[in-house]
Amino acid sequence: MRSARFICLVTFAMAPLIVRADDLLDRAAESLSFSGFDDQVRARLSGLIDFEFYHFTHEAPGLIFTDDHSLLSPRFTLFFDAQLGSNVYVFAQGRVDRGFDPGDGDLGIRLDEYAVRWTPWQDGRFSLQAGRFGTVAGNYVARHLSWENPFVNAPLIYESVTGIYDAEAPSSAGEFAEGLVEDKYDYNPVVWGPSYATGLAVSGKIGSFDYAAEIKNAALSSRPESWDATDDGFRHPSISTRIGYRPDIAWNLGVSASEGAYFTGAAAHELPHGTGIDDFKQKVLAQDVSFAWRHWQLWAEMYEARFEVPRVGNADVLGWYVEAKYKFSPRFFGALRVNQMLFDNVPDGEGARQPWGHDLWRIDTAATFRLTPHAQVKLQYSLQHEARVNDAVSHMIATQFTVKF
Amino acid sequence: MKLIACLLLAPILASAQCAIEGHVELPKTKSAPVMTKRYEIVTKGGVLSTNPPVAVVYLEGNFAKPASLPVKQVVQKDFLFHPSLLAVQTGTKVEFPNQDDAYHNVFSFSPAKRFDLGRYRPEDKPVPSQLLDKPGMITLRCDIHEHMRGIILVLDTPHFVISDPEGNFKLKDLPAGSYKLKAWISSRTTLEKPVTLTKGSTTKVQLP
Repeated sequence: MRSARFICLVTFAMAPLIVRADDLLDRAAESLSFSGFDDQVRARLSGLIDFEFYHFTHEAPGLIFTDDHSLLSPRFTLFFDAQLGSNVYVFAQGRVDRGFDPGDGDLGIRLDEYAVRWTPWQDGRFSLQAGRFGTVAGNYVARHLSWENPFVNAPLIYESVTGIYDAEAPSSAGEFAEGLVEDKYDYNPVVWGPSYATGLAVSGKIGSFDYAAEIKNAALSSRPESWDATDDGFRHPSISTRIGYRPDIAWNLGVSASEGAYFTGAAAHELPHGTGIDDFKQKVLAQDVSFAWRHWQLWAEMYEARFEVPRVGNADVLGWYVEAKYKFSPRFFGALRVNQMLFDNVPDGEGARQPWGHDLWRIDTAATFRLTPHAQVKLQYSLQHEARVNDAVSHMIATQFTVKF
Repeated sequence: MKLIACLLLAPILASAQCAIEGHVELPKTKSAPVMTKRYEIVTKGGVLSTNPPVAVVYLEGNFAKPASLPVKQVVQKDFLFHPSLLAVQTGTKVEFPNQDDAYHNVFSFSPAKRFDLGRYRPEDKPVPSQLLDKPGMITLRCDIHEHMRGIILVLDTPHFVISDPEGNFKLKDLPAGSYKLKAWISSRTTLEKPVTLTKGSTTKVQLP
């Protein structure tokens, strides 16, 4: 904790230097751009440096992994973007941090995203992309990085773990009904963050409609370790699609659907006799809407998810959120988000039915101050309520300092 | 009062007929930026035009301010600012029309003018604008498309011109006298040279 405080102090001491280094960061951006072959090949390195600090009154919420009530999470993200001619775009994202999700593990380095996109026509009617990249489902992925996200964390459906355990199948309905009894990291949310799984995607725009479809090696709920093609390969692919409609540039409405096996290979030997991993799927139907005008931005999503659970049946959950952001001044904006997750009933193993998770709602508020075009400070407060007997209400404060170059 | 002063000065300035022509050494052309499209479902092309470096050459001195100045525009088109470099006199109103079929969010954190226009449709009226009432350099950025950069140079002089991409320039209709000729090339480089203009002459200048 002492080292966390020390890093925090250093971070805030750095803030004035960053403000003065604005011109330097602009020049750094120019120096990190390369071109060749008469400008037909252009590439650029850019990045984010994040320091996040969380404090929570109860156990760590969502996809934060620590046994303490506070956590400091530094992260360095490097992006590579390259345009090859007018038809080929390549991108990659590498990170140095304490784990894909905030946690108290050791610092490590990873390649989280890499993809190549081919766009044969200039009007955007069709693109083909291959690699490891964020899901096309929903509308959250486009703003999941710290600079674009008005909050420090993600909406509930992208980070609140459910009773789904992808490495082991429950031995009985009674065991499943017990809920989260193991280490939190063993369980899965409805969508694990941006879901950078590996696969192929097609996308494009026809008139006011846009479309996207992907085939990937892991389901939306799958954990980061499953996203690499080297884990389980493509033996249990997952398919996701989104159809979008833009009546004008202010509005974007979409419907997404996804289906894929959610168990990892480790669970295969625990499945009922005569069944395989592909017999138990995560099925998702989602609706999203976004609106922007002047200094307002609004987003909302609703996810209806079904997990086919061996020896239990269907475990359904409904999750939604509404998020608003307003710029009060060129450098200051605020955001408010209301989230809720509602769990359906499943057999409890004793002849009755009960919810397979605690219904919960959370209100997130955040304020962001842009120190310069390259640096910002964010402060968030979250109030969460879970439908359980004890400790129903919990609080979280989070702050995030970001430098973009 | 200002109008009377302008009317009185106009024939004097018109009869001065001094000019400066010359050449500014410009830096090499930068490559076109890379447009970040990682999380865009719809991808349109990727070829952005290159903006060759140019210089803003201006005469520094005490000049009368006109009663009104024409409105200028910086257009957002094809995911770039057009022009990418605009020079205006202090007190000019600049409009920022969006001619793309996508949102932009133009903003500036520059001390000379801090503003954020938000997101607006091409058809939204009135076109968002700013009155640039303080001299200095304004860096234009887009909160949605990070590759977009533009510069407005707000000058306390009516005598300025943008060079051609080779660095050649000509300033006409200047009043006789001694002045400082400046050439703004980038936020870090402004060249200058003292000049004395005599009535009816054309002075040749090489910068630096």
